[in-house]
Amino acid sequence: MTARGDRLLGLVLLVLAVAYGWAAQQWPPPFGGHEAVGPQTFPTILSVVLALCSCYLIAKPDPDTHWPASRTLMELAVAVLILIAYAVLLEWLGFILSTTLAVGTLCWRMGAPVKNAYLTGFIGAVLVFVLFNHLLELSLPGGLLELERWTH
Amino acid sequence: MDTLNFLMQGFAVALQPQNLMFALFGAFVGTLIGALPGLGPANGVAILIPLAFTLGLSADTAMILLTAVYAGAMYGGRISSILLNIPGDEPAMMTCLDGYPMAQKGKAAEALAISAIASFMGGLIGTLGLILLAPVLARFALTFGPAEYFALFVLAFATLGGITGKNPVKTVIAATLGIMISTVGIEMATGTQRYTFGVLKLYEGVDFILAIVGLFAISELMLFIEERAGAGRKLIQVGKLSLRPKDILDTLPTTVRGGILGFIAGVLPGAGASLGSFISYTLEKQYLGKRGHFGEGDPRGVAAPEAGNNGASSGALVPMLTLGVPGSGTTAVLLAMLISLNITPGPLMFTQNADIVWGVIAALLIGNFVLLLLNIPLVGFFVKLLSVPPMYLLPVVTMVAFVGIYSISHATFDLYFMVAFGVFGYLLRKLEIPLVPIILGMLLGPEMEKNLSHAMVLSDGDWSILWGSPLAAGLWTLAVLGLVLPYLVGPMLRRRMRESMTESQTSD
Repeated sequence: MTARGDRLLGLVLLVLAVAYGWAAQQWPPPFGGHEAVGPQTFPTILSVVLALCSCYLIAKPDPDTHWPASRTLMELAVAVLILIAYAVLLEWLGFILSTTLAVGTLCWRMGAPVKNAYLTGFIGAVLVFVLFNHLLELSLPGGLLELERWTH
Repeated sequence: MDTLNFLMQGFAVALQPQNLMFALFGAFVGTLIGALPGLGPANGVAILIPLAFTLGLSADTAMILLTAVYAGAMYGGRISSILLNIPGDEPAMMTCLDGYPMAQKGKAAEALAISAIASFMGGLIGTLGLILLAPVLARFALTFGPAEYFALFVLAFATLGGITGKNPVKTVIAATLGIMISTVGIEMATGTQRYTFGVLKLYEGVDFILAIVGLFAISELMLFIEERAGAGRKLIQVGKLSLRPKDILDTLPTTVRGGILGFIAGVLPGAGASLGSFISYTLEKQYLGKRGHFGEGDPRGVAAPEAGNNGASSGALVPMLTLGVPGSGTTAVLLAMLISLNITPGPLMFTQNADIVWGVIAALLIGNFVLLLLNIPLVGFFVKLLSVPPMYLLPVVTMVAFVGIYSISHATFDLYFMVAFGVFGYLLRKLEIPLVPIILGMLLGPEMEKNLSHAMVLSDGDWSILWGSPLAAGLWTLAVLGLVLPYLVGPMLRRRMRESMTESQTSD
């Protein structure tokens, strides 16, 4: 049982704490100069607390939790990519198409049969689109389908 | 008598048709969310926050909606416990012990009905306790100065982390990270830009709604992908309900005891609903001794933890509403909502925003009746929902969160930010860093800094003011205890809960 996870975390946090604290010292002193608390005081305290905690973590790490195997890691990366692609395509493709693709692909990657997966995505997309655009009067992008034209 | 007047005003707010409608909707959606294994009340409230914003709900309506979701999720948690032996969240764990055996004996309908009634009673007792206790505590909290508030915030972090994490250092790290995120943006007093890197979007700071939805909802999806909890589950058939009034009367004393115990557990910061359901069940088991057959499907074993966990959920609102210090993860999310509505939670809220506080309390009372009425006839529907495999459900839930965030600002940038928070949240969960203190840090950070600088101005730069008054010193002591005690008690509590789970399973 190694404890690399926590050690690494401690190290990253230590770097963060130092960078954060250092940045705080760069701000010009507040106008008037001698106030007890300036914009840098609170961040300085925080960086000290974080630095102490990260040192503790490096010295006394918890045993590692179970990290996913590389295959699962790939699946996770794919899921994150799907979400990012969803955000990129949302306005261009329009809500219904991009949602069908994103939700469908996610369902499929999670093990649903392809047809069911994209059907779920499509039905979900249409339901939410109707709910948001008609009942709640919040406009979601129509995109390529230009659904707004006949919804307004 | 003041309280009664205020409560009447609260009812006037809660009974407005629009508010009543949202309470109904919230109770329904909350029950759905609670019934789904894996989605707890904190996620449920987090997913609905964007909706409350995009709809442009007024503060009282938004709070009523979210409180109803919260109460509903607490109700719903029991359904998967009883039918699948899978607790929807931690507080629902104890309900498995007798609920599942009852269901196996063909008494699923009875178990569901008894638990609904117990939830109702527990919620009612908790809300009554809230009505009695909250104003008193609020009046007491008015005597707090900036130093006391600073100490109180430290106490909040110390106790909240205790339940959610195992390692107190990690709790401190989480809280510190959260506060650090809150310092991003333009500092109010001097106008200094802090950690904005010249990015215009960051001038106003990091939006915690994005952070909450990302941290909870997106990371939940990722954890699920990792665990691949598989397809739909075998459902136990719910037979016809044959509940006699005598059955309800038999469980009534248990329910009342459970509700009171649960409420007390809920008020204690950091203890929350898990402790509420646990002590209600164990004390009832001890109290009844040989007269009960706990673990084999005793109806009282269903009633006690359900009354306890619903009593606790109302109890957790007491410190949240009166001190601005949430008693549980979900109340922390509710607090986020209040702050984003520009309402400073705390004792002043009782005078400045009396309509909201009392509206929420009245809505909670109404919500409990609604939930009872909703739960008895609709239980079949909720049961059907449990057969939907999570591989369809989670992507759809994620999509709803996505769209909710998008509709607030119509900015794609926010979506990237939310996904980034999701990945961050997943990593933190894997490293066993609790998420709730991060949220709390983001929420309370600015208030903490403000109180710190006020205190320093008062003392002319003397740091000892922070622990100078007896009250402040007392709060600091409690904070240290709060950090250390759960370290000892928390694992024990969790172990005991697991043990009673496995015990009952092996004795099958």
